[in-house]
Amino acid sequence: MNEQRKRRLARNLIVIWTTCVIGFLYIPMVAVVLASFSKQRYFQFPIAAWTMRWYEKASTSLSVRDLLWTSLTVALLVTIFSVILAFFGALAFARYEWSGRKLYQRLVLLPIFFPQAVLGLALLLWFSSLGIIPSWQTAVFAHMVWIVPIVILIISIQVYSFDPALEEAAFDLGATRLQVLREITLPILSPGIVSGGLFAFLLSWGNFPLSMFTTGADQTVPEWLYAKMVSGYTPMVPTLGSLTMGSAAIMLLVGYFGWLAIRYKTAQIKVKSAD
Amino acid sequence: MATGNKSSIWRINPGRLAAIPASVFLLIGFAGPLAMVIGYSFMPAHTFSLLQVPSLENYVSVVADSYYISFFWSLFLASTAVVILFLVCYPMAYGMAKIFGPWANLVTALIILPLLISENIRLFGWVLILLKNGILDGSLKYLFDVSASGLLYTVPSIVLGLVYVYLPFMLFPLVSGISMVPESLKDAASDLGASRWEIFWEVELPLSMPGIMIGGILTFILSLGSLAEAKILGGQAVVMIADDIESAFTFAQNWPKGSVLSVMLIGLSGVVVFLLFRRIDLDQIIGRR
Amino acid sequence: MKDKAETFLELKGLTKKFGEFTAVSEVDLQIAEGEFFTLVGPSGSGKTTMIRLLVGMDLPTSGDIILKGTRLNDVPANKRPTCMVFQNLALFPHRNVGENIEFPLKIAKVAPAVRRERAMALLEQLHLPLDFYDKGVNQCSGGERQRVALARALAFDPEILFFDEPLSALDFRLRKALEKELKDIHRETGKTFVYITHSLEEAMVMSDRIGIMKDGALVQIGTPNEIYNKPINKFVAQFMGEVNTLEVEAAGDMTVRDIKGEGTFEVKSMPDQFSRGYLIVRPEVMKLGPAASGLPNIMHGKFFNDYALGSRMQYQIRSPSGDQWLVERLQDEVFDGTFGDTVALGWRPEDSILVSE
Repeated sequence: MNEQRKRRLARNLIVIWTTCVIGFLYIPMVAVVLASFSKQRYFQFPIAAWTMRWYEKASTSLSVRDLLWTSLTVALLVTIFSVILAFFGALAFARYEWSGRKLYQRLVLLPIFFPQAVLGLALLLWFSSLGIIPSWQTAVFAHMVWIVPIVILIISIQVYSFDPALEEAAFDLGATRLQVLREITLPILSPGIVSGGLFAFLLSWGNFPLSMFTTGADQTVPEWLYAKMVSGYTPMVPTLGSLTMGSAAIMLLVGYFGWLAIRYKTAQIKVKSAD
Repeated sequence: MATGNKSSIWRINPGRLAAIPASVFLLIGFAGPLAMVIGYSFMPAHTFSLLQVPSLENYVSVVADSYYISFFWSLFLASTAVVILFLVCYPMAYGMAKIFGPWANLVTALIILPLLISENIRLFGWVLILLKNGILDGSLKYLFDVSASGLLYTVPSIVLGLVYVYLPFMLFPLVSGISMVPESLKDAASDLGASRWEIFWEVELPLSMPGIMIGGILTFILSLGSLAEAKILGGQAVVMIADDIESAFTFAQNWPKGSVLSVMLIGLSGVVVFLLFRRIDLDQIIGRR
Repeated sequence: MKDKAETFLELKGLTKKFGEFTAVSEVDLQIAEGEFFTLVGPSGSGKTTMIRLLVGMDLPTSGDIILKGTRLNDVPANKRPTCMVFQNLALFPHRNVGENIEFPLKIAKVAPAVRRERAMALLEQLHLPLDFYDKGVNQCSGGERQRVALARALAFDPEILFFDEPLSALDFRLRKALEKELKDIHRETGKTFVYITHSLEEAMVMSDRIGIMKDGALVQIGTPNEIYNKPINKFVAQFMGEVNTLEVEAAGDMTVRDIKGEGTFEVKSMPDQFSRGYLIVRPEVMKLGPAASGLPNIMHGKFFNDYALGSRMQYQIRSPSGDQWLVERLQDEVFDGTFGDTVALGWRPEDSILVSE
């Protein structure tokens, strides 16, 4: 009995602790959103007067539009290229048995463990010695160096649960290698590919250390935020911060509901066949 | 026996073929820059070409200069952050692996979500909280007439930032490590007379070691090379090594000096990662094979 | 079946090496059209490699695979007129039952209407309800999944259908039912079936002929009866199930002597130039207690334990030297002894199986 009570106590403590930690993770974001509605030019708490003015200002600002556009273009291109590279990379990582695989697994993950600031600087050095002037295009390349390994990891998790006999069966039933890829491998791995793509987009969208050194004259949203943060407070910082958080949240919701819709569709097939 | 040869329906080994795109890309985008940094570290100071006579001059000057201070701070802050992270994350990871059941998915989602938001926005949130007249200071003044200014731009605030930003990187490896411990082994240990503490010490902790090691080393390396935490939350309190590297490259325009510092940081991280990778099997950790 | 003597599938010196390890070694085999041939062997005997070579998933190191006079060695799996039912069935999880069955037809660019018609016919042939067409494969039970996998393979219309232990994951009763059903389908379609399994019992039920594999080589080929009654060595005999094995040496014309001194026994036939080998007696032909009296072959031991095996009872007798002997009786003729008593065991000379190795 006593043992039981101890157990329950331990359980409750863990639940409370977890709730606190999650709260800890979200408090700063709440702070940013609060600050974006504060009327004062210099942040003070408690907030004396509220306003939407900074959002109006942001929506009409041409420089904000440029920043969002650059960030969006970079993130989209990074997503597309990373997913393509990582799809094959993940097959080599987890699907096939080949002599160099263990070494490949370790080498391909190295960039994840690498200090991003140093990676960014090294790439800057690399670009300038090759005579390439840094711009948002070089940032796409730089982001990929860090993001491709992460997407390989994400897709690999799906590949590990993929049964190679499915490919063999399709091959045995007369399909060519291309048909096997299109009819079997791609559709079955699609959840991993989609989540890999989502991660690629959001990680690129929020990346700061790599962008800082590799965008040249162009600027992404996180870079602009950082520049403003160190040079002094302006209400545009929390406003733009809130906007990027909001857009990330929307993307995730769209992804989540898309996933739900697919589930619903398959559930419908089940219902139909149950009749 | 069977898995080893599945690929032979393809005439060329498809694994090697599939590895080519990512490998070539990382060769150009990762190995190339890395080699270049190493190359520059042997060039005379303030030169912008790799065609000079190589020397160890930079390494000597780095040791002679006071750079060991920022190395020391980085190591100290990273180690502190790792210890705190382990203590914060272990109970939570235990809950996610063993107690929460279906709720663990929700907890996972809630912890991944902030990762997808730029870390300097989140760190800026802490600035707003810790600032003089910020959320914490302001609330305390308003409610109790007590001031809590002077929290920002201190060493503890940097540690807070590191713990905050790298929490998921400790948590998730711990979760996977703990869930690798079969429940039946704990039951067996208990059946053989072990107390709860003995079960934890003799069974759970050693068997979840791969997860603990990955989490610890991952967060250590990430903290060691971090830049934004110390700059945004630390102000001028402490200079971390990544900051030194940045100013050597940009402000001081001394590529060879920056390269030497980079090589030393990379070498330090590299040794740790190498030791980790030698001890674990990635197939087992990621694929649960 | 056996009157169709002309060779359909022929293997000549088929060998597969993985580095130093020889998985399949110099296998020669002929299979007739319409035959149900089963390869049996313990795990690691090379039977899985063998079937992968036959289907075209692996390439042989040397030797030939010849189907109807055409050498298949260099033909990849997707171009071979053969097809396999996988061990885990390999049903495509993202396709429903109908799409799974139609897959080979879709690949062969058959018109959708024809495909559907064919899929429906196959559902009917395999006793699956027609509305299964829209069912998800993961909603099917184990037995239903087996039938879907078989339907998909039949839709391919292969010259030879290979089976890689597809029934091994099922429970005992369902497996028994499906074994018979598979044999019925073999009869209905008249196709050549090549089946591999580790269970000789399963092979016995279904096959026209059985090949026993050990260490990559075919040890014995024969009809189920030949394998059961005339095993050529101890391995085959013991693979058949629990048997009593005595190490013996020749002791005259049609007599052998146990080397541990359990006695001298009569046999009905002896291999040429037999000097030393094994005497094998099946538990079900052993007589126990009073029933053994008067038989020429008698041993004595202590009654140690009994086991109920459903339709039969099994008794364990321990010899003075510690050997364990088994006797089986039907439930209506149970042996009523006391544990620890010394009892007699006996068998007829014609029930002795003598092998050299």
